[in-house]
Amino acid sequence: MLSVIWETEGLQTVGIVVLVFASIKLLHLLGLISFSEDSVEDELELSAVRHRPEGLEQLEAQTRFSRKELQILYRGFKNECPSGVVNEETFKDIYSQFFPQGDASTYAHFLFNAFDTDHNGSVSFEDFVMGLSILLRGTVQEKLNWAFNLYDINKDGYITKEEMLDIMKAIYDMMGKCTYPVLKEETPRQHVEVFFQKMDKNKDGVVTIDEFIDCCQNDENIMRSMHLFENVL
Amino acid sequence: MAAGVAAWLPFARAAAIGWMPVATAPMPVPPKDKRRGHEGLIVLNVSGTKFQTWRDTLERYPDTLLGSSERDFFFHEESNEYFFDRDPDIFRHILNFYRTGKLHYPRQECISAYDEELAFFGIIPEIIGDCCYEDYKDRRRENQERIQDDEETDATNELVPPDMSFRETMWRAFENPHTSTMALVFYYVTGFFIAVSVLANVVETVPCGTAPNRAKVVSCGERYALAFFCLDTACVMIFTVEYLLRLLAAPSRYKFVKSVMSIIDVVAIMPYYIGLVMTDNEDVSGAFVTLRVFRVFRIFKFSRHSAGLRILGYTLKSCASELGFLLFSLTMAIIIFATVMFYAEKGSSASKFTSIPAAFWYTIVTMTTLGYGDMVPKTIMGKIFGSICSLSGVLVIALPVPVIVSNFSRIYHQSQRAEKRRAQKKTRLARIRAVKSGGANAYLQYKRSWLLIDPDEEASKEAGQALVCKTNPNFEMHHHHLLHCLEKTTNHEFVDEKTYEASCREVTLVKQVSCSSSISSSPHGLTSCCSRRKRKTFNVPNSNMSVGLQGSIQELSTIQIRERPLTNSRSSRSSLNAKFEETVPLNCDQPYMTAAIISMPTPPGTTPEGDESTSSTDYSQANIVRVSAL
Repeated sequence: MLSVIWETEGLQTVGIVVLVFASIKLLHLLGLISFSEDSVEDELELSAVRHRPEGLEQLEAQTRFSRKELQILYRGFKNECPSGVVNEETFKDIYSQFFPQGDASTYAHFLFNAFDTDHNGSVSFEDFVMGLSILLRGTVQEKLNWAFNLYDINKDGYITKEEMLDIMKAIYDMMGKCTYPVLKEETPRQHVEVFFQKMDKNKDGVVTIDEFIDCCQNDENIMRSMHLFENVL
Repeated sequence: MAAGVAAWLPFARAAAIGWMPVATAPMPVPPKDKRRGHEGLIVLNVSGTKFQTWRDTLERYPDTLLGSSERDFFFHEESNEYFFDRDPDIFRHILNFYRTGKLHYPRQECISAYDEELAFFGIIPEIIGDCCYEDYKDRRRENQERIQDDEETDATNELVPPDMSFRETMWRAFENPHTSTMALVFYYVTGFFIAVSVLANVVETVPCGTAPNRAKVVSCGERYALAFFCLDTACVMIFTVEYLLRLLAAPSRYKFVKSVMSIIDVVAIMPYYIGLVMTDNEDVSGAFVTLRVFRVFRIFKFSRHSAGLRILGYTLKSCASELGFLLFSLTMAIIIFATVMFYAEKGSSASKFTSIPAAFWYTIVTMTTLGYGDMVPKTIMGKIFGSICSLSGVLVIALPVPVIVSNFSRIYHQSQRAEKRRAQKKTRLARIRAVKSGGANAYLQYKRSWLLIDPDEEASKEAGQALVCKTNPNFEMHHHHLLHCLEKTTNHEFVDEKTYEASCREVTLVKQVSCSSSISSSPHGLTSCCSRRKRKTFNVPNSNMSVGLQGSIQELSTIQIRERPLTNSRSSRSSLNAKFEETVPLNCDQPYMTAAIISMPTPPGTTPEGDESTSSTDYSQANIVRVSAL
């Protein structure tokens, strides 16, 4: 008898609790109550961010491109990024379209950091065009400088083995799976070893900018390849 | 692929400098840049609307018309632009594709027009962007269904090629009752017997008053057992015969046996036979009684007679997933609420909720808002949960129902549209025929005037030209000259309906008279009859006429039809074949001819002008109407 009463009592309590929760949920659903402050916030479109580049004359003065070339570059830039700036996602997206077999996102990330000289998280047209100016029209010294900047992920002036390994893996990732001969796990590491053997003159485990530039200038292949893309535009 | 971001290729190449110091091997030589003469604007004039874009934009997709050298065919020197005689509204979207890399489908455009434009400009529709792809695919599917419907009705309405076997005729009669009177009669008879059978089943169980030697009330079935048995036997006889005939006539017996309708047929007649077999066995009489329930399946045989029923069945089949979801959610809810109600009502005395399965009944009745009232909760908790149960029941049932309803509505409207199209088909065909006859009349007029004036060809041509110079002199002139060439080739001439009908009647007369004429002389016989007419020459190949003379005109025409596809050469005899076959069966008054006339689809390419311009093809169809046989 007692147990029956307990059962009914217990069920009654459960029922009341359920009812209370349900009504609270219903009110919350109807928007009459809000639990946390940030739940109401909608996704504010970051549409306010619009960037207009400097004038054509200024860019002409700052870079080594002609007017026509700047026009072509800007048209392509604006086509992909109507807001005038590239954020990292779009950057990765665009770069990945050129390497459909592999995963170009890691390398694109490093590239983005290299282009984003003021480190504000977005690449404006000026950054873009400055970078390209160095890469396509700069002196060998400038190009090598830029490359060193790219490899030096934390921008501390030294390329460590880990940094180089990251870069190497990123480059190999772009190849994808279907390669001949088949890519093995230790291929990037081996490549890094070869690189360090060549570059690290004083065998201190890091490569400084001078070691890098010196070594590159003495290597014929690298010198020749620096002039490869001069007529790109 | 990367064509949309082609403008960023210089960047990608520049960024490759990052790989250089790492590389151990020398880099390949870059390809020589084909210096395009001028990186400039291209003007595209599409039916007067000028579009301009950069040359590079177009060359992003070199496998399309605009991106390849194919566009040079459209270059117009005088205005130094590319001229396309196409729809500028749709071209807008095509050009946008080059600009943005995404192809959009405008909702208001006709799907076939759009497809044609895409095909013209060499763009595959699969690259339509995600935003518009669903819409495009939906419209395309609708269009395909419509075309398929038309084809199906064409296939069913077309008159049978005469060499169909008896089996095929029977099958056609079964599937399309309106094709022949016999089939229609059969259709109605079976329908009547289905109704009678179902009615008998129903009336059997009605109480019919007391039997003379018994006290209690008996049902009609027991009182007039013999009568009902005879009725049942008759119905089952008919159904069995029908089923066997269908089985015999089916083109693929295995497929037929597997089909739903045949299973229904079998289930409808099986109980009777099983009942015959085991009437005297008392043990299984219970099962026998149950079998009688299956007799109600006869009512499903009506689905052959009613399109609406078929639609309903089809809808239920296509909504199987929604129905399954409905069932599943209901089951879940029933179990939950039954459990809760059972435990809530356990305390109350004399509660009807004796077990959870017993509570199922209450839950179902409450959720479907039936509320019989044979089981009611007495405790407060029970009442609270009972009300929650009925509220949720309404929701759970109301959710999937609109999906089923919309599905049914869509399918129903589709069938309505198909019906409407079938009804409109007659007027459509009449319209098409009127247009064709208009074209034929022009030529006949031209010829008449030409013949009246001067047999000399040059002069007459000019005269004819003068006559038809109203609309498009050049075109008409060349067209008529072409038809004239055809006449000269085949030694036949184009005439109008009346003369043709007259000559048809002559044919019957000639046949009746000269059926004893020998095979070899048959052509002459006919020619002689025809030579009365002024400008007819007629050579009928032996093979055709020989067979035809011995039979009725219908056989003649049917044989002609059969032989038509074989003739291809341009020799006068075979083209005469073609001519004769087209002309003989058409527009004659005799009933035999009429049947064959309707069955004639347009000859694909047997006439010499079959592969000429469409106007000539149209005309050749008009030919069929107009040319005289004799």
